[in-house]
Amino acid sequence: MGEEGTEGTVHLLCLAASSGVPLFCRSSRGGAPARQQLPFSVIGSLNGVHMFGQNLEVQLSSARTEDTTVVWKSFHDSITLIVLSSEAGTSELRLERLLQMVFGAMVLLVGLEELTNISNIERLKKELRASYGLIDSLLGDSELIGDLTQCVDCVVPPEGSLLQEALSGFAEAAGTNFASLVVSGRVVVATESWWRLGTPEAVLLPWLVGSLPPQAARDYPVYLPHGSPTVPHRLLTLTLLPGLELCLVCGPRPPLSQLDPQLLERWWQPMLDPLRACLPLGPRALPAGFPLHTDILGLLLLHLELKRCLFTVEPSGDKDPSPEQRRCVLRSFYTLVTAVHFPPEPGQQEDKAEDAAQQPQVPKACYLVSGTEEPGTGWRLVALQSGPRRLLLLLSAQSPVHGLRGLATRTLHALTPLL
Amino acid sequence: MATAALCGSRQSPEGLLGDSSPQEDEDCDPEDGDSDWGSYSSASSDYDDLEPEWLDSVQKNGELFYLELSEGEEESLLPEPPVVNHVRFSENEIIIEEDDYREGKKYEPKLKRFTKILKSKRLLPKRHNKKNSKDSGPVSILKHQSHQKTGVLVQQRYKDVSVCVNPKKLTVTKAKEQLKLLEVLVGVIHQTKWSWRRAGKQAGGERLVVHGLLPGGPAMKSGQVFIGDVLVAVNDVDVTSENIERVLSCIPGPMQVKLTFENAYAVKKEAAQPTQKKVQLNTEGDLVKLLWGEEVGGSEQKVLHTPHVVLYLTLELDSETSKEEEILYHYPASDASQKLKSVRGIFLTLCDMLESVTGTRVTSSSLLLNGKQINVAYWKESDKLLLIGLPAEEVPLPQLRNMIEDVAQTLKFMYGSLDRAFCQAENAPRVDHFFELFFQRALLPARPHGGASPGAQQYEAASAVLLDGLPGVRWLPLPQEIKVELDTALSDLEAADFAELSEDYHDMRRLYTILGSSLFYKGYLTCSHLPKDDLIDVAVYCRHYGLLPLAAKQRVGQLVIWREVFPRCHCRPPTDSDPDAFQEPEGRYFLLIVGWRHFMSCVLLEAGGCASTAVGNPGPDCVYVDQVKTALHQLQAVDCRINEQLESSPSPCLSCADWFLAGSHEKLDCLTTSPILSKLQGSSKVATSPPCRRTLFGDYSLKTRKPSPSRSSGGPDDGGEGGEGGGPSPHTTPDTERKQREADGSEESGALLKVIKKKSALLNPFHVGNLKKDLSEKELEIYNAMKLTSGPENTLFHYVALETVQGIFITPTHEDVARLGGSVHPELIKNFHRCCLSIRAVFQQTLMEEKKKAGSVADHSDSTDSASAPNPVKEHGVLFECSPENWADQKKAPPVVAYWVVGRLFLCPKVQELYVCFHDSVTEIAIEMAFKLFFGLTL
Repeated sequence: MGEEGTEGTVHLLCLAASSGVPLFCRSSRGGAPARQQLPFSVIGSLNGVHMFGQNLEVQLSSARTEDTTVVWKSFHDSITLIVLSSEAGTSELRLERLLQMVFGAMVLLVGLEELTNISNIERLKKELRASYGLIDSLLGDSELIGDLTQCVDCVVPPEGSLLQEALSGFAEAAGTNFASLVVSGRVVVATESWWRLGTPEAVLLPWLVGSLPPQAARDYPVYLPHGSPTVPHRLLTLTLLPGLELCLVCGPRPPLSQLDPQLLERWWQPMLDPLRACLPLGPRALPAGFPLHTDILGLLLLHLELKRCLFTVEPSGDKDPSPEQRRCVLRSFYTLVTAVHFPPEPGQQEDKAEDAAQQPQVPKACYLVSGTEEPGTGWRLVALQSGPRRLLLLLSAQSPVHGLRGLATRTLHALTPLL
Repeated sequence: MATAALCGSRQSPEGLLGDSSPQEDEDCDPEDGDSDWGSYSSASSDYDDLEPEWLDSVQKNGELFYLELSEGEEESLLPEPPVVNHVRFSENEIIIEEDDYREGKKYEPKLKRFTKILKSKRLLPKRHNKKNSKDSGPVSILKHQSHQKTGVLVQQRYKDVSVCVNPKKLTVTKAKEQLKLLEVLVGVIHQTKWSWRRAGKQAGGERLVVHGLLPGGPAMKSGQVFIGDVLVAVNDVDVTSENIERVLSCIPGPMQVKLTFENAYAVKKEAAQPTQKKVQLNTEGDLVKLLWGEEVGGSEQKVLHTPHVVLYLTLELDSETSKEEEILYHYPASDASQKLKSVRGIFLTLCDMLESVTGTRVTSSSLLLNGKQINVAYWKESDKLLLIGLPAEEVPLPQLRNMIEDVAQTLKFMYGSLDRAFCQAENAPRVDHFFELFFQRALLPARPHGGASPGAQQYEAASAVLLDGLPGVRWLPLPQEIKVELDTALSDLEAADFAELSEDYHDMRRLYTILGSSLFYKGYLTCSHLPKDDLIDVAVYCRHYGLLPLAAKQRVGQLVIWREVFPRCHCRPPTDSDPDAFQEPEGRYFLLIVGWRHFMSCVLLEAGGCASTAVGNPGPDCVYVDQVKTALHQLQAVDCRINEQLESSPSPCLSCADWFLAGSHEKLDCLTTSPILSKLQGSSKVATSPPCRRTLFGDYSLKTRKPSPSRSSGGPDDGGEGGEGGGPSPHTTPDTERKQREADGSEESGALLKVIKKKSALLNPFHVGNLKKDLSEKELEIYNAMKLTSGPENTLFHYVALETVQGIFITPTHEDVARLGGSVHPELIKNFHRCCLSIRAVFQQTLMEEKKKAGSVADHSDSTDSASAPNPVKEHGVLFECSPENWADQKKAPPVVAYWVVGRLFLCPKVQELYVCFHDSVTEIAIEMAFKLFFGLTL
């Protein structure tokens, strides 16, 4: 990435719906936060057209130019979010979900009350500053895909049951039901209750932990956008190993000081080796030595009911294309497949017009071949839906087109016990 | 006069047959028994010259849209004898009609004498005389009455509607402002401010145009009053906006009132151009009915309530001018579009602001209106903005984008530029009509057009989503010898060296050079000598006016269309860069479309250049029209051969999805197992009923009608002539025509399929078993040649192949699809087209990026390395599973058929697109299929 001009920039605008006062603007360019801002007149007119439509009971939802997409969304009649993106392969689906996540992030850190009853705009602006880090990480290139899929990014630890046991025991001792182990933004293991967290927070909490600067321990007040948007909870994090953090969500008790080193040692000292084994899992997601076909350059496995996903672009060495590019390709393929072909994921109210007409015709698989006419260039993408699981693969060009589905079926079969 | 164009053709097919054989002389005509010929000879005595019947329909600006239905069609369209046939007319109107007539006369073509000469030589087809419209000076409306009695009119000009009104009910809401009574009493909404824009004031008050109907009002309840109609009389008392309130206030109590309306289409045009073109426009209005069936009423209501709008706005704001001045054009004027019109500020702002921020043009935006998603497509040219808004449910966004491009292209083709189309007052009614047709097509794709079989209709509706957006014309591949014949006919026509037209003969410059022509048969392109861009322009024009389906049934007695056009490749401004390059002569271009029976020929003419320069608005020239007509008549001999081609089995054989519906027991492994397994499974069953197996297999190339005993014994049979005795078929007709057999075959297979389905669900259509062995090698060869898919079975369900260099595409014909029938298959086809639309959207994105890349490479060699740019998408496929819709058996899972929809894009050597749909049992390689399909695909 890193183009000149306006290409590849994302602008996110947040305005108070009633007054039209901009609360914040964030931009990112080529995947990194940027200082470049839209002129105020543009912000004003972008908000103006939306507001004007609303007065006439016409909801403006999106607009497209040849390379840019703009999406408007207002939340609770008090906050209007506008995103303007000229990233390659951007789509409305991606931007709509981004806005949902951004609003979720705002609620997570500020609380719904503050956002719906804006009494003091200046104070709100100040409070929202806390969420910039999280929002910027949502806007930019991330190794995770939870913002798009709305599923929790997970990894598969080699000795999961041991870790699970230790986690449950620790959580019980600490007096909370919500606990998880997070390695660079991905959940390794979590308690039952943690998995039952609602959609935005289940994705956002690990994301938040991953986006914060490293610290030995934190006590962070959070609202749960779905579970308790008005009553704050505490997010406690304890760094077990560099990059590997233990997260707890709890009420006023226990205080952080109570989680003394003794408690930690008792539960986690014996687990040191399995924990160490988790560390390299961050980008790889799958345990080392998991048999994957060598043609597979990237993999995204979703479990639509559990709302968890495995996402990796590094199953096999460093061939062309670069990991960033692979992620980008898989992300846009996911968008295409979800927005156009496959039925919407359960539990989402995005109603698409085509679905009603397509009921008896159920899409099961999908592939896409790109590259120039000469052989050996480009890549192949294949998606497979089977029950609640959906697998997307990025494959190298040497993989034959007619074998794509077979390969995907076999891979899905092999991955099924993992997720 | 108003509908004269449609009341003509009393020509019998025999008469037309007679035309093509000049040796047949007039004296045999009376024996024909057809009264027309009699009238022809009797009337001809009054005339020293025979004018073509369309001559009166030529408008002031030279345009002509003349459609005459064939005999049979007319009868089917005849309205029931009108119940009340009362017509009001004033002196005023008769005078108008008279004007009409005279103006029409003025447009005698310069070369009319040629016609005379040709006539005298009997080189031109004989024509019956239109006695009704011509023999006695000005035509009066009363004349029309006589017409109606004979039942030839398609549309009445006036209609009487009886409604019950009750003035007692509205004591409270006594009329406060003008025209209130009309609204509350009758339920007709008339808005004064609207009508002056279009209609202009007439002496004695404004005409009472129906602008809306009050829900539940008497007028709406009657179901006969439509928006656009004009109320001319109440209980035979003439009314205008001036006296309507007075007249209505005289109604003492509840009573039945007779309202006389002038029909919408008749009025619209007349109002705009009071002295001209009633004929033509009425015809167009009827065309809508003709194409969309008679029950426009109900569907119109539906269309009215669907938000849809077309707006032409200017971005240049003049503070001097009054309100709404930025709207240059707006259609329709219904309530549903008002909302979209009222938020035009959004569109204007977005268009301007986003372009300045992003540097690229706005293409579309989406709105939510009453919970319904509306997509609005933008088309910006200089400082004007064309907008089309349609609900996403009916028109997916990729389709809408193609549509607006089509609209802009067609309007430019017709009027030269969007400005001319929208801003010239005299074009307004015509553009209205254009968009009326446009929205009909967009929102009511399933409108049946009379007579077509439901299967073909469904197919038409389902495929329009994709096919209407393709930059190509639907082509019918023909065998070489027919092609040569058609080519010769067109070349002869284009050469224009017929003696009477040669320059030497008359010592004057010819009027037009024929640039090229193309020939359509039943809506399929069979032959074209037009450059690609022109061909597409012409085809899109024809599509918009619904001319292509018109010819599919034998409904055209005679069609003559003439208009000035502005083809994009000829009308480009000259480039200064290369002075030596070829410059198009600064000519004017005219499109002549002549239709006759199933044939339709489009001819592009150039005036200027080497022909004489056109002056004013020349009307169609008889010589050219007649020459095209003659060419068509000459082709009559080919007619049945083309038709045979059309109806014979398709070149790549198709299968019906229903044949592949596996039983539920196979559902689990149907994804992975190959049909060989099932073949083994069922082989014992199959032996019991070999003929069924054969028909079930469904490959028409294999249906060689061998008697079953010989087949099961394994001896190669020479097939074909063996008759149908072997099968259980009751059709043992001695009809040896191949076509007939084909038809029988399909019927039979359909029937058999049903029987077998009931009998045993185990019987599997895949079983070729020993059948394959029995095939002689020669047969196998044919069989392979006609099959697109690999593997032992024919698994191809559907295909579309687009060749952009020639601007053509091929896809199975309506007949093919209708023949396949099935219950799942139509759904599959519908889904195929929808899916292809999405696939094509991906391809279009790729093509755009490629174009951009090519541009940037030309600019500076180091193109930026974006993620997707160096790797264009070239193939995209989706696997679907489908099952019968209403599966009654609750215990068993419904059978499932899995099929792929695959799109493949070829960028080099030329841009080609291929979309195929095939069963999942065999892995297909799209490139191979494409090679087979595109091989030899040349015009």
